[in-house]
Amino acid sequence: MNLWESAWVIARRDFVASVFSRFFILFLLAPIALIGFMIFFNVATERQDRAASQPVVAVVTDSVTATALAQTRARLAGNAGEQNFPILRNVDPAENVPAQARELLADESGNYTAVLSGTLDRPVLTGPMRSEFATRRMQLLVDESRRTAALEGAHAAPQPVELDRVVTEQASGSLATGRRLLGQGTQSLIFAVTLMLATLLLSTLVEEKTNKIIEILAASVPLESIFLGKLVAMLGISLVGLGLWTGVIGSGVLLFFQFASNFITLPDVSPAVGWPLFILLLLLYYTMNFMLLGALFLGIGGQATNIREVQTISMPVVLLQLMVLMLAMNAVSGTQGVMYWIAYIFPFSSPMSMIALAAKSGTLWPHLLALAWQAFWVFLIVRMSSRLFRRTVLKSGTTGSFFNFGFRRKQAAN
Amino acid sequence: MGAALAIEAKGLFKSFDGKLAVRGVDVSVPEGSIYGILGPNGAGKTTTLRMLLGIIEPDAGARSLLGNDHPLEMARVVGYLPEERGLYPAMKTREAIAFMGALRGLPLDVGRKRAEILLQQNGLGDYVDKPIKSLSKGMAQTIQLFGTIVHKPKLIVLDEPFSGLDAINQGRLEHMIRDVAAAGTTVIFSTHVIHHAERLCERIAIIAGGEVRFEGLVSDARERLRPQVRLRTRAAEGKWRSALPKDAALDDDHWTFELPKTGIEPLLKALLDGGAGIEELSVERRGLHDAFVAIAGESAAREMEAEEAVASGDAA
Repeated sequence: MNLWESAWVIARRDFVASVFSRFFILFLLAPIALIGFMIFFNVATERQDRAASQPVVAVVTDSVTATALAQTRARLAGNAGEQNFPILRNVDPAENVPAQARELLADESGNYTAVLSGTLDRPVLTGPMRSEFATRRMQLLVDESRRTAALEGAHAAPQPVELDRVVTEQASGSLATGRRLLGQGTQSLIFAVTLMLATLLLSTLVEEKTNKIIEILAASVPLESIFLGKLVAMLGISLVGLGLWTGVIGSGVLLFFQFASNFITLPDVSPAVGWPLFILLLLLYYTMNFMLLGALFLGIGGQATNIREVQTISMPVVLLQLMVLMLAMNAVSGTQGVMYWIAYIFPFSSPMSMIALAAKSGTLWPHLLALAWQAFWVFLIVRMSSRLFRRTVLKSGTTGSFFNFGFRRKQAAN
Repeated sequence: MGAALAIEAKGLFKSFDGKLAVRGVDVSVPEGSIYGILGPNGAGKTTTLRMLLGIIEPDAGARSLLGNDHPLEMARVVGYLPEERGLYPAMKTREAIAFMGALRGLPLDVGRKRAEILLQQNGLGDYVDKPIKSLSKGMAQTIQLFGTIVHKPKLIVLDEPFSGLDAINQGRLEHMIRDVAAAGTTVIFSTHVIHHAERLCERIAIIAGGEVRFEGLVSDARERLRPQVRLRTRAAEGKWRSALPKDAALDDDHWTFELPKTGIEPLLKALLDGGAGIEELSVERRGLHDAFVAIAGESAAREMEAEEAVASGDAA
């Protein structure tokens, strides 16, 4: 049997054993349940969070001033967003306003950030002034209220004018932003899915070692094909997972967009290479990213003798992945420089950087070059991992050529 | 030795962490023979087998498996049962056997059919769809053995195949080894139980301390020792006593000693002429155990006996 045939036997066994196990259902459901829970939690807490985080200012003024401030706030918040202004709460002034202001600020049930007193011409803001946001917004409200009052007094208040909207196909600024977001989104997708499978990859050879099957495998097929087979099986498993997750989550997103498009105009985020090619490249780069990190994790995990050791290795592996993601994100948002090029050339960040490039630029030849470069590194890491495994686990050195990826070995010295 | 060799190894050396495990092992296994590697635990048997199969590379020396200097290239026609048995616990027996065949290039569907036949022929037909984890240790070992032979290999390598098996299953295994050898398959196995090697093998290698102390026919190993003479006489003293070798030992009323190099006839004549009054005289060929003691040493033999006792206890 050649390398690929034997890798296929290993891959098929691993794939069937994983996909037809009860735990695979949990594996499939975990991210869907997680995202569902996150959405539910977010929706449930968002309103409360927003209300809790919005500063409240007590307006201790005469009714004319209070009404003017409330009207200005309503007008501005209508365009700029309710959450971008402090909540104003009118309080009738007492005889001693400074003392009243101190009492209001001390009253925990009122939850006031500051107290506005005086008039529009002589406004006084009392409070610890820790919220620059509240201070600046109150300044704006007072200024706007005074300007409005002055214009109305002079009968010079302008009538509101609606913008005449001329809709064009595209604007380079918004397109670039959309593509950058698309690039970062796909990077995050590749990162998240690979991260989920990292621990699985680390522990995949432990089964063979604990069940003592490794010797049968090592006697039957080259170690490289064991590593390759396991990688391909895990890739297959992840693609099954991706298919399901994309189906469920993608349907949800599409439904949302269809619903949302009735109310808002969604940005056009077509990637530079076009959607069909982008999706193909996404699959290819995901495969490469998975194979690269997978080969590395298999190599590291192959050294572990039990699950506890795998768990110990997991944390640095996650940190390593995060660093790689940050490097790749630099390629999307950063300007050209050393780190920019490293992100494309460093094999572990290359797939994520390149998919972002596919979103930004329509040039195709760099992708062919990158895929070949990444495939070369997959080969290299599988080879190194299997050699390390042979040397440390099977306690046997090899005398064959490093680039001889098959059965052939040099005969031992006489 | 006229037959072609299934395995030939010359001067194999292997060390682990600077400690020499195998030193200059030479092995010649004729095609179609049953060959035993005999020695106590830690003698270097498993390391030798792993080197012969290409699982590990020797530090020095050369080996050829079925005429190929790259043993793994012959994996399709080789079956291997390692000392540390291993199967996927969740796999069903039929699938486990077929998978082991598939590793050796046997199509899965053919492997499944052969697995069913093997299981049924050996009274395990009810276990076809049972997961490995539900089987007893001995049964799982039998399944692994079926996986070793399912692809009908030309060479079968068994590392301590009898350990962990009860007497009945040991008998079955011996029977199976004879059957596959009769069909032309070469069988090489390691063992620390002398009587398995004595009953099954034509040729053996005795390994102790990482070295091959003897390599050749079982009969040659036994013939290294002179036959044992056992004698009982009516007369306690007389001229006949001078015919006995100096190291002849008297045990109760019996004399035991090695047959003199001159043979039985001069001894018999001297006893008769010397008036010994022979009541009982037997000349016995020495067993492989005695040969092993003589070749590998008393301590190696004692280690093997101790291991055998432990293994029998485990199997029971």
